[in-house]
Amino acid sequence: MHEPIDQPASTTTWLDERTGSRGIYEAIFLRKIPKINWLFTLGSATLFVLVNQFVTDILLTVYYVPSVQDAYDTVIYIDSTLPMGWLVRGLHHWGATAMVALVILHMLRVIFHGAYKYPREITWVTGVLLLLLTFAFGFTGYLLPWDQEAYWATTVGTRILEVVPFFGDFLLRIARGGDELSAVTLSRFFGIHVWILPALTLLLVAVHLFLVVRIGISAPPKKED
Amino acid sequence: MADSISRRKFLSRVTLAIGGAIVAGWAVPAVAYIFGPARKSDRQREWRPLGSPNKVELGTPTLFKTRVERTTGWVTQEEEVSVYVFTEDGRNFTGLSNICTHLGCRVRWVDDQEAFFCPCHNATFGKDGRVASGPPPRPLDTFEIMVDGGQLLVNLEV
Repeated sequence: MHEPIDQPASTTTWLDERTGSRGIYEAIFLRKIPKINWLFTLGSATLFVLVNQFVTDILLTVYYVPSVQDAYDTVIYIDSTLPMGWLVRGLHHWGATAMVALVILHMLRVIFHGAYKYPREITWVTGVLLLLLTFAFGFTGYLLPWDQEAYWATTVGTRILEVVPFFGDFLLRIARGGDELSAVTLSRFFGIHVWILPALTLLLVAVHLFLVVRIGISAPPKKED
Repeated sequence: MADSISRRKFLSRVTLAIGGAIVAGWAVPAVAYIFGPARKSDRQREWRPLGSPNKVELGTPTLFKTRVERTTGWVTQEEEVSVYVFTEDGRNFTGLSNICTHLGCRVRWVDDQEAFFCPCHNATFGKDGRVASGPPPRPLDTFEIMVDGGQLLVNLEV
């Protein structure tokens, strides 16, 4: 036994011996950072809203049914009958808007500080992909309540694809899953919104955060930079 | 100072407290939201016509069916409700549910055995709904029945 007897084994020590949790904690939360300001919290704020979106999305799918018969009725049921349903849906709805605003502000900060430069190009590229994913989330999620607003917004939104030269018609059919907005569109948008996009997002966020922790964040540029 | 805490410790505790409050802000509504539909619904009771009392054979439970519109969640649909009506004297009627009190299978009256039979665990009930054999813990549930204007009326949850 090389363990000193006078040192009581705490839970964190127990866990650390088996998982290396202390090292992970220190790498993430106790890493050295340059002198920075509040603008550097925009990424964390985005991450927080993203977590909110995942939590509330999982809760919404407990009752939401993506069919033309049920979609609108289930949304009304969530909003008006279920206890706290209005809060869960409200958090998801406003979280979506906040998400778009935050990722754009986060990106602007990175642009203005030149933080996308060497050695952070991959972080930047994954960030841009995440921005596109955020837009895709917003676009597909907008249709799901299946009310007039959703229906016509998506009719117009998908129609924009049609102006692409030569294969615009083909793109429109891919987006709608047919000629018109239909039950197929709703089902596809739902599948994309709750399975495909979250899977891609988790993957890219993992890479993005790993790089932020590994490379460290850049200091605000100085006059001579 | 012995009883002061470091700035670092203070901030980490405050962070933990705020984080905990936020997690509770998700968790508490989530629990209410998921357990909400488990609340007992307060359904109203209504008298519904079943048919003529002349159709009820003396001493033999006779099956009547009626339809009620029920809303569950966001779906409103018609459901068929079966009621066995029983009378000894043609004046006092009892309504018996056809739902087995054991695990909810549907029972049916078997004439030559003079019993309600449940196919799930071979339980039998007598003509008044009392348990004759098998696992059911209590007699068949009853409905209030009255005769009004030559019609059998049953008191149902709608």
